Amino acid sequence: MSAIRDFDCAVKHSEQMLPGVVRIVFDCAEIASAAFPGQFVQIEPSPDAFPVTRRPITINRLTKNGFELLFDVVGRGTELMAEMKPGDMVRVLGPLGIGWAIDPGSSWLLIGGGLGAAGFQFLMDSVVSATVLIGASSSDRVIPLEACHVVTEDGSLGGKGLVTALISEKLLDETDSIAVCGPVAMMEAVWNTIPEKHRDKVQVSTESRMGCGWGVCDGCSIPVSGGGYKKCCQEGPVFPGVEIDWKRWKEAGL
Amino acid sequence: MSFPPAIRRKFWGRDFSSPVMLASGTAGFGEELLDLQCLSGAGAVVSKAVTFNPREGNLPPRLLETPFGLLNSIGLANPGVYHVVKHLLPAAAGLPCPLLINVAGESVDEFADVVSVLEECSVHIGYEINVSCPNAAEGGAAFGVDPDVVLRVAQGVSKVTGRPFSVKLTPNGGDMVQSAKAAVEGGASAITVCNTFLGMHIDWETGKCVIKRKVAGYTSPALLPLVVARVWQVSNAVSVPVISSGGVSRGEDVLQLLAAGAEMVQIGTRLMRRPFAAGELMDEMKKLTGE
Repeated sequence: MSAIRDFDCAVKHSEQMLPGVVRIVFDCAEIASAAFPGQFVQIEPSPDAFPVTRRPITINRLTKNGFELLFDVVGRGTELMAEMKPGDMVRVLGPLGIGWAIDPGSSWLLIGGGLGAAGFQFLMDSVVSATVLIGASSSDRVIPLEACHVVTEDGSLGGKGLVTALISEKLLDETDSIAVCGPVAMMEAVWNTIPEKHRDKVQVSTESRMGCGWGVCDGCSIPVSGGGYKKCCQEGPVFPGVEIDWKRWKEAGL
Repeated sequence: MSFPPAIRRKFWGRDFSSPVMLASGTAGFGEELLDLQCLSGAGAVVSKAVTFNPREGNLPPRLLETPFGLLNSIGLANPGVYHVVKHLLPAAAGLPCPLLINVAGESVDEFADVVSVLEECSVHIGYEINVSCPNAAEGGAAFGVDPDVVLRVAQGVSKVTGRPFSVKLTPNGGDMVQSAKAAVEGGASAITVCNTFLGMHIDWETGKCVIKRKVAGYTSPALLPLVVARVWQVSNAVSVPVISSGGVSRGEDVLQLLAAGAEMVQIGTRLMRRPFAAGELMDEMKKLTGE
C-alpha cells in the first residue's frame, strides 16, 4: 500500500445541485494528479471534536486544479459539508481505495441508481466509449450526465420504470466492462438481470459505514463470496461483481 | 509526580520519547502502517486482538456514528495466531517503535495458549491481554468483571512468558480497581484503562438496531473525564504503570491523562480520523509544555 496523504484543501465552489444534493469543488493539485476513477476521499466535516470520523465521498470528476464531489445530505456530517463556503479550508485525506479496473480501449456500460451515479463522470472522462443507464426514484434524483438513458420510478423523467428494463442483450454484447453503482437492492437487481456469461465484465462500486478509510479499523467490511470479508476502503470500493456475496451483503442491509 | 507531566517516559524499563500508543484495533499489526508514515510521534503500537482460531468478525454494519461518538462492533476479526505469526509479524520487524500484541480469548486457557504460540516471535516487547471479551466458556460475562477470573488469566499468561504484559480492563460492570489488583497479583506488569464502554443505538421508529449484535463498544472524546477518573483510581491502587485508553482528541487530553497517573496514553478513534494523530498530538504537547 502506498503512503496516504492528508491535505488542507480550499473549497473552490459549492452549490446545491438537486434538492438535498450538494456539489463541492476543492482545489488540490496533488489529489487531482494522483486520483483514479472510482477512488474516494475522506472529508473532515468540521475541525471540531464532532463528528468523530470523516465522511467518505467518491470523486465525481477532476477539475482544472482539483476535484469535484457530489453527495446526498443525509446527516450531521454531510449537513456540515453542505455549509462549506468558497475559501474554507477543509482537511481531506486521499485519494483512497481501488477504483475501476480500466483496460485500454475498452467500451463501457455504466449503470447507476440515483446518487450512485455520482462518480461516473470521472470514469466517462477516462474511457474511450461509455453508454450510461440511469434509474432514479424521480427527476430530482438524476445527476445530469451527457447522453445517458434515464428511467424514473414516478415517470418524471425518461420512461417510467426501473433501470433493469434498460439492460438489453445487445448492450451487454457490445460492451467490454460494466460499471454498477447505486443502492444495494438496485445493484443486486442489476446483477440478477445480467446473464451468467456477461457477469465477469461487471464491477460494482460499494459503500459502507466507514471508520478510517485507510485499511486499519476493519469497520467497512463487505461480505465476499466463499466466506469472509474484504475492506471497502482498501480492497475496494470497486470490486468485481463475482467477488460479492450478494446474499450476505443484502442481509447486512448497509 | 511533577507537574506538568513530562512527555518523555520510562515504561517497562525502556525510554520512550512519546507517551502516545496506537490502541489495539486501530493500527493493524503495525505492518499496515509501515509505509503510511503514521508512526511518527508514536511511542508504541498495540496490535489488533489475536485469538487462537481465525475470526471473520461480525456481519456489517460494524460501525455507527452517533452525534457525539462512535459505536463499533468489529467482532475481534483476525486471521488466528498461527497466521499472524507466519504472515503478519515478520513485516512488523521493521517498525520504528515497540509493538505490544493484544491477545483475546473465549476461555481462561485461550489467552495463555495464544501467548505460547506468539512466544516464538521476537518482534514484540510484550502483550496486552484483553479481558473485556465475553468468557464464553463460563457464562458469557466479560472476564474482566470478576477479579478471580482476571487472576487466573494473568497467572496463566505469566506461566508461559517472561515478557511483560498489560491487562486491558473493561469499564462495563465489576470493580476495576479490584480487577486491576487481581491482574497485578497474577503477574501483570501494567494495566490498560480501559476498553470501550457498552453502548447501543435504537431506531425509535422501528425498534431495530443498525448494529446486528445490538450492543457495541462506544468511544468518544466526551468519555475523557470517565477515563481520567478510572486512570486516577487504578493508578492510585496498583504499583504497576497504567496505560490509559480512550477519550483523547487533543494534546492537552494526553497531558491530563498523564497527570491523572497514566504512564502511557493510547489513542484509537482519533487515529481513525487523523492518520498522523500521534505526531500531531506530540506537536501540540510540546507547544503546550515547552518540553
